[in-house]
Amino acid sequence: MRAIWLIAKATFHEAWRRRFLNGILVFGILIIGSSWTFTYLQPGAELKMLIDTGLGAIRFFGMLIAIFLGVRLIPDELEKQTIHTLLAKPVTRAQFMLGKFFGGVATVFANVALMGITFFIVYTIKASQFQKIAAEAEEGATYTMIFMSANIAKAIGLAFFELTVLVGIAVLASILFSWILGAIFSFFIYFVGQMADFLRELSSPEHGADPVSSIIFGVLYRILPHFEIFDIREKILMDDLVPWSLLGNITAQAIIYIVVILMIGYLVFNEREV
Amino acid sequence: MAKIYTHDLEGNPVGLIDLSLEVEEGQIFGLVGPNGSGKTTTLKLFLGLIFPTSGSGEVFGYPLGSPVYKERIGFVPEGPYFYDHLNAVELLRFYGSLFGLTGPSFQDRIEHLLRLVGMWDRRDRKVADYSRGMLQRIALAQGLINDPDIVFMDEPTAGLDPIGAIQIREVIRQIRNEGKTVFLCSHLLKEMEPLCDTVAILNHGVVCRTGTMRELLADEDSCYLATFRGLSESSLQQLQSLAVSVEQQQEDTYIGNFRDQNSAVAAAQALATGGVELLELHPHQLSLEEVFIEAVGGIPQ
Repeated sequence: MRAIWLIAKATFHEAWRRRFLNGILVFGILIIGSSWTFTYLQPGAELKMLIDTGLGAIRFFGMLIAIFLGVRLIPDELEKQTIHTLLAKPVTRAQFMLGKFFGGVATVFANVALMGITFFIVYTIKASQFQKIAAEAEEGATYTMIFMSANIAKAIGLAFFELTVLVGIAVLASILFSWILGAIFSFFIYFVGQMADFLRELSSPEHGADPVSSIIFGVLYRILPHFEIFDIREKILMDDLVPWSLLGNITAQAIIYIVVILMIGYLVFNEREV
Repeated sequence: MAKIYTHDLEGNPVGLIDLSLEVEEGQIFGLVGPNGSGKTTTLKLFLGLIFPTSGSGEVFGYPLGSPVYKERIGFVPEGPYFYDHLNAVELLRFYGSLFGLTGPSFQDRIEHLLRLVGMWDRRDRKVADYSRGMLQRIALAQGLINDPDIVFMDEPTAGLDPIGAIQIREVIRQIRNEGKTVFLCSHLLKEMEPLCDTVAILNHGVVCRTGTMRELLADEDSCYLATFRGLSESSLQQLQSLAVSVEQQQEDTYIGNFRDQNSAVAAAQALATGGVELLELHPHQLSLEEVFIEAVGGIPQ
């Protein structure tokens, strides 16, 4: 545990020195901070527009950070050969890999937290103003701030778990391929994973696809992470309650997926020459 | 043990073809060889960074790669790179913590090592601002943080100025004098010769010579060299008749090569009557460079 903690801490500090990632974060914060300016596009539904844009931006910029950070975590150590001095110490490859992963996850957490805080500030300032407009436009359209805030916090929490899965995929991809290929692979998995329901439809015999395609879509549906389950914006926008049981269920799925990814990553990395 | 990377066009294996080494405790063991001979590959095998294609090895009785023996070893890489957000103290604290080192004795150890490698005055500077020589010094300090029983070093003086190289060599001797073992890889033969107790010469992935420095440098056809000054034409002819060979060193200085000490002394006495002065008499010893060139089959044309 000690080695994992130390490597994770070093990884976290190193990550903040990457200007490219800092640039994405700053841009993300600027977009989220100015998200209320887009609300004029939906008169009468400004608050929903604000929430939709803000949460969408957190997921999008978080996704960029998770992938570009994840695919560089281990290749950078190999290129600069810092891994040599680490593995020459009583550090196993599993500890090294987990340290890098958790350092990456901590960085993503901090990034999501900063974007989330920015969004909450904007939301707190603008919510009451938009609430009045919504009440005037639509009889009975009232929102409880606490209810909404809790739902938003849950959405941000799920976005973090989604990005944690993505960091795991990016780390695995960078072990299997080069970091550039790893990034392409991670983007592919992320976008296809957003369409898991569509894959299921394509794999069903009723859809009329040929048997081979049907099998391929079926396999993809079963092995790819279903990223769309982390996106609960629709529920929030419909003023639905986001139950804790749903959160627990999605988080459990994320954890299982992360464990499987890390185990595969370890099996490959353990045999890899550095 | 072998580590074959590939085969050349003629089907010959490329890599570390046949490595068989036994390193005695408390010695400075030098592994020398030309670039690409397999020195770094050997180190990587010992550290478990790569895996042998065939054969096996042990460090302190544990199989290669086992984290158990890594508690007792140190590693000083060539051209080191470290997390550059750390300063010297933080860097040593980071590596020491991997061994579970804590407390005041750990702080003392950090200070001792930074003073030893001449980095104490620059301990607050971030690694990002280090020169190559400073990186090499801090690499040595991190390699010694756990007070290892054996230290693996890859070109430890690379990138250092002459003073720095002397200091590092002194530290290496100090480590040996503390009863620890140093496994040194380098192609800087002139540096290795006065430093190593035992040497193995690696060429094209094969250990072609190994032995103590004394054994390797002993000239089988050992002869004596005598330097004379003030030879006339007749005394030069006399020297040429007594010595195996004669070589002119300067205008009036000649070096005579004799089979043994007695014949050299006899010649000196004979020449002294003619006013010839004996400046120097010493046994001829091979240099590691000469041994190395002979072992690798000469200098390619």
